[in-house]
Amino acid sequence: MSVAADRATGESLIGRSLPRREDLALLTGTAVFVDDMRPAGLLHARILRSPHAHARIRRIDLEPARRLPGVVDVFCGADVERSVEPWGDLTQDILTGDRIAFARDKAVYQGQEVAVAVAETKWQAEDAIEAIEVDYEPLEPLVDPEQAMQPDAPVIQDGVDYEGGVGNAYDASYRIRVGDFEFARDEADVVVRARFTTGCSGAAALEPHACLADYNPSSGKLTFHSATQMVHPLRDGLSKALHLPRTQVRVVAPFVGGGFGSKGDVFPWEVITAVASIRTGRPVRCVLSRREVFETVPGRGRQVRYAELAMRADGTITAYGERVIFACGGVSAWGNQILRIGTQIGMLPYAIPNIHVDGFAVHTNTGPAGPVRGFGVPEAIFAKEQLVDMAATELGLDPVEVRLRNVLHGDDCPTVTPLGQRVDSTSIDRCLERAAEAIDRSEAEDVGVGFAVCMKYTSARHPSLDSDLASVRIVLETDGTVSVFSGDSPHGQGHGTTVAQVVADALGVGVEKVRVTSSDTETCPFSLGTWGSRGGAILGTAARMAAERVRAKLIELAAHILETAPEELEVAEDRVRFVGMPGTGLFIQNLVLLAAYATHQLPEGFEPGPIQAQATYDTPTERERSDGTGNLSPTYSAAAHAARVEVDRETGRWRVLDYVMAHDTGVIINPLIVEGQHQGAFLHGYAMVFGEEVRWGEDGAVANAGFKEYFAPSAADLPSLHPTIEVPAPSTVIPGGQKGAGESATAPVAATIANALQAATGVRFCSLPIMPDDVKRALVESERRGAPIVYPRDMPDYDGPTEWPEPEEFDDLELID
Amino acid sequence: MKVEITINGRPVAGEVDERTLLLEFVRDVAGLTGARNGCLEARCGCCSVLLDGQVVKSCNVLAAQADGREVETVEGLATGDTTTIEDPTTEGSVGTYVPLSARGVDEGSLHPLQQAFHERGALQCGYCTAGMLLTLKEFLARVPDPTEAEVREALRGNLCRCTGYQSIVDAALLAAERMRG
Ligand code: FES
Ligand code: FES
Repeated sequence: MSVAADRATGESLIGRSLPRREDLALLTGTAVFVDDMRPAGLLHARILRSPHAHARIRRIDLEPARRLPGVVDVFCGADVERSVEPWGDLTQDILTGDRIAFARDKAVYQGQEVAVAVAETKWQAEDAIEAIEVDYEPLEPLVDPEQAMQPDAPVIQDGVDYEGGVGNAYDASYRIRVGDFEFARDEADVVVRARFTTGCSGAAALEPHACLADYNPSSGKLTFHSATQMVHPLRDGLSKALHLPRTQVRVVAPFVGGGFGSKGDVFPWEVITAVASIRTGRPVRCVLSRREVFETVPGRGRQVRYAELAMRADGTITAYGERVIFACGGVSAWGNQILRIGTQIGMLPYAIPNIHVDGFAVHTNTGPAGPVRGFGVPEAIFAKEQLVDMAATELGLDPVEVRLRNVLHGDDCPTVTPLGQRVDSTSIDRCLERAAEAIDRSEAEDVGVGFAVCMKYTSARHPSLDSDLASVRIVLETDGTVSVFSGDSPHGQGHGTTVAQVVADALGVGVEKVRVTSSDTETCPFSLGTWGSRGGAILGTAARMAAERVRAKLIELAAHILETAPEELEVAEDRVRFVGMPGTGLFIQNLVLLAAYATHQLPEGFEPGPIQAQATYDTPTERERSDGTGNLSPTYSAAAHAARVEVDRETGRWRVLDYVMAHDTGVIINPLIVEGQHQGAFLHGYAMVFGEEVRWGEDGAVANAGFKEYFAPSAADLPSLHPTIEVPAPSTVIPGGQKGAGESATAPVAATIANALQAATGVRFCSLPIMPDDVKRALVESERRGAPIVYPRDMPDYDGPTEWPEPEEFDDLELID
Repeated sequence: MKVEITINGRPVAGEVDERTLLLEFVRDVAGLTGARNGCLEARCGCCSVLLDGQVVKSCNVLAAQADGREVETVEGLATGDTTTIEDPTTEGSVGTYVPLSARGVDEGSLHPLQQAFHERGALQCGYCTAGMLLTLKEFLARVPDPTEAEVREALRGNLCRCTGYQSIVDAALLAAERMRG
């Protein structure tokens, strides 16, 4: 690839589909993931986990395990009580006190950490945890979040005081209050409502979570490799939990095998593994089994939404109301953040004038809920975009026309929605038109076409985290190559290529000259990590700012040597040259050499030494206000999806015949990478419908903790995808115009397919996933009633957003299986 | 027990516990970590290797069962020098790049599947990639001119959570075309 040569033409590197520079090591099998590291003296940790979803722990006897061959250390919560403190309070307002290394008196979900064994081999560690004796007193598990919210339900986290919490609803304070909801609803021509539930699909990254702690007893320094999405927050969390100064903790993420949100936290096994290395003075690795991943790694968490939407006869959406109940599992993790951000962003791309939302993050005796691609937006869109169709149907309006009437229009931007979201630019209106044009809407038996639209934040200022920044440091080396130390923690997103493109573009050098290092707290400046579709826009802006600072120094130096004004100069072809004059000026390499080795030639006041700069970009976003309003994201990407779906009435199977994605991703740095992000994001949306769901039985035990029973779609299960239709509306806030790419294609998928299924069958599917059995049952029930139904539950008349009636259950006995 | 397996043309012998999986033998005895553990339950395909030319999930085969037989792993696909690029214990490695030519490896030394994966963006985190490549290598040897649907069916046993599969399917078809010449 002769990109350097191309640069002589002055063409920008932005918008070029460079194949990724990360690929070679991965393609040849030489890339090193945590499990591939082979340090001398390595020990293996296996964690004993609670088999019960809810149980008092009366006694733990570690002695039998300690006596086994090869066992080096065995410990549990009582042993580290004084050395490890609960974490989670690094950020402002975050709910804290329940993030702990080991369950002590009580286990609150199946798979919670109880003890650990550290041994010379994995098998010895496995044998050791089997020898540990624990006396449990099982308690009644609370699996259903609505039951957990009942006033008489036992409180799961009974030892922790949560501000804004009521019983198991540890955050019962989420409210959106915009306009006059009641009035608008009473005035509306049609009001539609339903109870929607979404399943707990997992991220199921193929690399199981893994970490390797290496504590050097003589220096007191802990080097910690982890498959993490955020090295700096993990470093800070570990240091705090372990009472170590941050100078003594280095966190590195080597190659990481996917995350999708699920590797963005400080996890108990990470703290435990670090403690094990400190206690033994040897390197210790912990790799979770697939079962452990399904049991304990946060999935989406089950959400229940009682939602209603009001519309005028002309199709204008006038009001939206919701009561959201989010099963967050036994500990608090990110749950209430997902509830808040997902719901707020989920109201887009409409400027709904009257909104009333009550949200509850609820503890249940299930595995923790956390971020999975979309951060709650897909769940919100699943409800809202179906209600739009329901209202349109009642009014006899076309679903595309109704949406076109309500979506924000690019021509009106920048605009501020009643929710306070400042949308700088958008093409969602045109995306919708393009998607509608591209899909075949002709009628056919048992075939339906559905649409949905969304906007997605590009990174976000979390209510609990008043920061939305990324940092990059650039050092010019004395041979003219460029070292970039990038703060975020990629795990498949291709930062090594994208960031190099941005830097090479700003410095006028060949992209081969730029080398990007990421994911190391010792060499890379503080950043929040890789999540929330933030790489291209937020990290990319930090990279551009740092490069521009370096460029200014180069030009200052060159102007001095060439005895000219800085305005006469530009960077290109690896040089600082006279504007528009190829082959003139000085090579960057020579300028860097001067600064390092010939300092008498430097202009006065020019700092000798390496030419370098560091920059941090913190987005100009607002904090969430108490009425739920605020501009949490600097810019908003958008997507309009259309699906043509066929249903087999005999088997209940549905099949996507055609799927169209039209997106606004602003300015795209690397189209090849962004297309991959869209297609991968589509998979995670599709999976929510197709059958991905971690299921807990009434006893709180995971019923499907393996890929055999958990339906992760294969290539044969997914439809063929066309290239995404990109309709770029460059961001006017992000200096380079980028918008987030990673999640906008997840958010509308479930709603799009559900709307298509409704068009095909008349049944409104309100619960995810939508399995063939569901389709069959719904069709039978429709036939029995002689009318299309809402599945699985009908919602009788009701009295307002806070007064929801009990839904009517079908009589199961009347249904044929 | 003693097990000897020819891996990528090189005999590797080791004294191992009889419960040792082929995956563990390849990774821990032969030191080739390109085959990866994604589930250890024969479902994800990250551990796929060729055993006497047939795709197997190496987490589902005992090393003893492969005694005296031939195994090909992802490390055997490229013909040129493809030594480990970096040592992640000394620096953050994600994004590390050494131009192929600077390392004496030209792109022609990659297998056509590797080359097509690179061009089509058929890998993101890369954790599934080795298994995908070997499964496709065996498949294209049997079915040199497949349809898209046949490629998708052939990949049923290999999960990818990053790409949505389209780029993998496209890369397979591109490589097939090039391999047919
Ligand atoms: S590790 Fe062998 S199939 Fe998943
Ligand atoms: S590239 Fe990440 S799982 Fe396939």
